[in-house]
Amino acid sequence: MSNMLYGGDEIGALVFDLGHYSLRVGYAQEDTPKAEIPAVVGIGEDGNCNSVRGEPMDIDDKRPDNNITQSTPKYYVDTTILHVPRKGMEVASYMKDGMIEDWDHFEKVLDYTYSKVIQSNAEYHPVLFSECPWNVRNKREKLTELMFEKYNVPAYFLVKNAVLAAFANGRATGMVVDSGATHTSAIPVQDGFVITGGICKSPLGGDYISMQCRQFLQDNDIDLSPSYMVGSKEVVKDHDKPRWVKKKNLPDVTKSWHNYMTKKLVQDFQATVLQVCETPYDEKSVSTAPSVSYEFPTGYRQDFGSERFRIPEALFDPSVVPMRGGVVGNTIVGVGNIVTTSVGMCDVDIRPALYGSVVVTGGNSFIQGFPERLNRDLSMRIQSSMRLKIISANGCAERRFGSWIGGSILASIGTFQQMWISSQEYEESGKSQVERKCP
Amino acid sequence: MADVRDILDLETPAAPEVTKEAILGSDKRARKRPENTRTSKRPEGMNREVYALIRQDNNVVPPLYPTDTGKGYSKIKAKLGMKRVRAWEWTPFTNPARTDGAIFHHWRRVVDAGKEYPFAVFNKKVPIPTYTHTEYVQHLVTSGWTEAETDHLFDLCKRFDLRFIIIHDRWDKKFTARSVEDLKNRYYQVCASLNKVKNQHEKIYHYDYEHEKKRKEQLKKLFERTQKQVEEEQTLLIELRKIEQRKKERDRKTQDLQKLITAADNQTETKKNDRKSSKKTNTTSRQKVSRSDSTNTGKLHVAEPTGIKFPDVKNSGVSLRSQRIKLPSSLGQKKMKGIEQTLVELNIDSNPPPTEQICQQFNELRSDIVLHYELKQALNTCNFELQSLRHQYEAMLPGQTLTIPPSLLPDQSVNKTDAAGSTTGATNA
Repeated sequence: MSNMLYGGDEIGALVFDLGHYSLRVGYAQEDTPKAEIPAVVGIGEDGNCNSVRGEPMDIDDKRPDNNITQSTPKYYVDTTILHVPRKGMEVASYMKDGMIEDWDHFEKVLDYTYSKVIQSNAEYHPVLFSECPWNVRNKREKLTELMFEKYNVPAYFLVKNAVLAAFANGRATGMVVDSGATHTSAIPVQDGFVITGGICKSPLGGDYISMQCRQFLQDNDIDLSPSYMVGSKEVVKDHDKPRWVKKKNLPDVTKSWHNYMTKKLVQDFQATVLQVCETPYDEKSVSTAPSVSYEFPTGYRQDFGSERFRIPEALFDPSVVPMRGGVVGNTIVGVGNIVTTSVGMCDVDIRPALYGSVVVTGGNSFIQGFPERLNRDLSMRIQSSMRLKIISANGCAERRFGSWIGGSILASIGTFQQMWISSQEYEESGKSQVERKCP
Repeated sequence: MADVRDILDLETPAAPEVTKEAILGSDKRARKRPENTRTSKRPEGMNREVYALIRQDNNVVPPLYPTDTGKGYSKIKAKLGMKRVRAWEWTPFTNPARTDGAIFHHWRRVVDAGKEYPFAVFNKKVPIPTYTHTEYVQHLVTSGWTEAETDHLFDLCKRFDLRFIIIHDRWDKKFTARSVEDLKNRYYQVCASLNKVKNQHEKIYHYDYEHEKKRKEQLKKLFERTQKQVEEEQTLLIELRKIEQRKKERDRKTQDLQKLITAADNQTETKKNDRKSSKKTNTTSRQKVSRSDSTNTGKLHVAEPTGIKFPDVKNSGVSLRSQRIKLPSSLGQKKMKGIEQTLVELNIDSNPPPTEQICQQFNELRSDIVLHYELKQALNTCNFELQSLRHQYEAMLPGQTLTIPPSLLPDQSVNKTDAAGSTTGATNA
């Protein structure tokens, strides 16, 4: 048995998967990340005036150069402390367009990750990062620099998240349809390389759906008070006015934090209620579908019928949604369209292979019926002679953490261990080699 | 059963006497059974279900094919011995596949310490030829490609292991845009000329640029068909198949007709010959009859396809001649009836005395009747088709009438005389 060679070799690597909704962190070779940290940071005004100073979850932000005094803003990372109402705590995302935008905040999150989640020193663990396929050169180099200079990682690697998602589904070649928080993209992957010329994306993602939901709920005069405001509530009948009492002694929260909490509420509503029709939206057929009841934190309860189909329909046919605030027009195309466009931009030789494995991943693809509808839309668009296969992991964690799992697999493969950019290599050739070594 | 007997008032047979032997005998059997099960005990390690499949209660030999795997069931796959557990250790290692000698840590058996990293053997690289500047200047200069571009191409080839689609995707924008075929063409060109120069006995790959380009264009066209185009093609194909089928049908019909006509021609010819030969046979001696007979049968064979196929009497020994005028059963009910009817009409005995000559001529006559029958039918179908075509024509172009040339119309008189001629010929004989 000792001469048996297994595919895996664990070297204690860490995998970071960046997204707009959250950052997934965990050890390679495990099947789910150790932690999913929201991709936002809460910024308190002043460490002094806050009563939560002694809380164990906080990060002590002691810079080596002590030119910043007590007035240093405090940072709140991870769900548990982020969801506590605090006076003057602003919430900001460090991501923009799939890339890291605010490096200071991102570092805070990394600090938190190493100290509270991994609870080990960074210099012991090689690090594999995922990135969006359109990441720009200076950001890649900056991240490389950050990891080697600040965290002294022994080795580092950067992979496109679409490639990882394809790996997680057992494919090296395929069309990755990633429907995340801020956008839905179609990324062609061949042999583990992204064909950058074929990337197609649309800004219709989970956040857009949340926005639509929120708009819809507000138009229907539904009180969207998040649960933190609710002190007590009474049971009321469907459609009755909710009877609830606001919590007392609420600190003076900021607008951004309130919005964040409201968004959480809407996201929950979204996950519970919405469904994509299998056929293009049709008022008649939808009216026969069963409605779903949802109870808001205030105790208000209502059944949702056709709305629950109409809102996500925008993902597949944006023209259905009426123009509102100039966000959606006919210029934005649906999911099926971006897939065919993306394939159309690739070499003819690999088109059958791409249609042969369309990998659906990302949290937004969890809207009920998403893969089925995509299957239908695509089979309408492409010829019947072309083999079409939609691959979507059934399990919740498998699809939600699709690219993280791919990273976990990749980083624990024995033959991958020669790919890392080691600290020695970084010392020799600097950060610019990331372009060469991590295609 | 006994109740039924009671109801039906049947006599009950005497109940079998309970003898000691009967009891003892069954007792013996009963005593034997547990012994059997004890002897064929389930082998250790074998699943109960598997054992149930091969074991039978009455101890019949199980229907299994013997194998030479030995005592497969007695062996346990995993040897869970009492040996000491081999220790694992978190050890540093260097990977020979790496050039920097970086040190990583992994779990490793203590006994395996010092061995090379097992995954290093998988570090395979596609061999990509290299060239120097002088070599380039001497052999590789072509119009349309600069050295910098070629260098870039070879660098990409090395990085992406000849994945030309990726190479095309990552092609530096500062150079002129190239298609995948251009890149492949250049790469194989360079490889071929380097091979020639270095005189390596390696296979030279030739890249057919034009063909590849054409292939891709066609593939693109194929993929870019719209649904409508595909459907159109499908319907066209179906139409084509229909047309071909119809054409085949028509061809077959004309062929049949042609066969009939030639058969009719042959028949009349043979008739003439027959008459001559029969006269001859009459004049010549009796011994020649048999010979003429054989010639006649030979001629009959020619006309056979449309007439009646009389089976040769092959039975050895003596046979009745009347056997020869027996109609073969393969003829079919309709034709047999037709023959019968014509014979009645012609006032001919349907069972004539089977002399040599009568046999032969009677058979010929009936053969002609069948041919006549078939010709008539062919004429009818032709007529019908002609009429239906005329109706079709008139339906398509209302107001117009199609005048069929009289030469195509069936001439009743000709038909009748023809039929009469053939029958009179037969009756004469």
